[in-house]
Amino acid sequence: MIESLVFYFLAFLVIGFAVVVVTSRNIFHSALALTAALSVVAGIFALLGADFLAASQVLVYVGGIMIIMLFVVMLSQQPTDAIRSQSNPQWPFALLFAIAIAAELVQKYRTFFGAVEARPGILPTSAPIGRLLLTEMVIPFEAVSLVLLAALVGAVVFAQDRQESRLP
Amino acid sequence: MRLYHFLALSGILFSIGIYGVLSRRNILGILMSIELMFNAANINLVAFNQFLYPGNVWGQGFVVFVITLAAAEAVVGLSLVLAIYRNIKSVYTENMNILHG
Repeated sequence: MIESLVFYFLAFLVIGFAVVVVTSRNIFHSALALTAALSVVAGIFALLGADFLAASQVLVYVGGIMIIMLFVVMLSQQPTDAIRSQSNPQWPFALLFAIAIAAELVQKYRTFFGAVEARPGILPTSAPIGRLLLTEMVIPFEAVSLVLLAALVGAVVFAQDRQESRLP
Repeated sequence: MRLYHFLALSGILFSIGIYGVLSRRNILGILMSIELMFNAANINLVAFNQFLYPGNVWGQGFVVFVITLAAAEAVVGLSLVLAIYRNIKSVYTENMNILHG
């Protein structure tokens, strides 16, 4: 009962913040609402018993990705942004498309998984995830470290100022 | 509380992300909507793991990789946005047409 109340509260919050993210005229407000929405998703992970993921969601998304995104928002603002519309002319079709996809997904989920409600006790997950990452998932684990290295080098290459380096 | 509730929440979040990707003019807004869609997929994976395969953490292991790759994608995407902004002084997608011919 109390779990259901918490779930509906968190779901209401995350959908509200997500709507603010896609509709706000000020992109800075969008970024702040996205920060809040990602924090609430961490709460949903905790409700599902994924304690390690809730912590890493806050650390990586809220602490890392959102700070970079706020920096880029502040570096790329123009004074005319506030008075121009932030959605393109085909937004009614996009809205129809999104509503169709949402209705279809919810209805199909209800058809196929509406009866599943088995819910055992919640166990700590950090140690099993660590064991999984270093035994059966060790090859993807190493591959993803290479991907991170490539992303690091790529970010440095793209973000450097070519004009200054060409000067004699 | 059933599995269906979490799946419905993730479906709604995913379609909000789709609306954002299709309707935003600002490329930073598109990147934020993509992050919303990643999170919808993560909720899906964790919910399936918890309800259908309890005592097993493969779904949560996948979510660890999704979060890592989302971080890499955000870093590269945002540095590309900065490079584009330095060239054309705009973050709006209708101005990014220098390959238009």
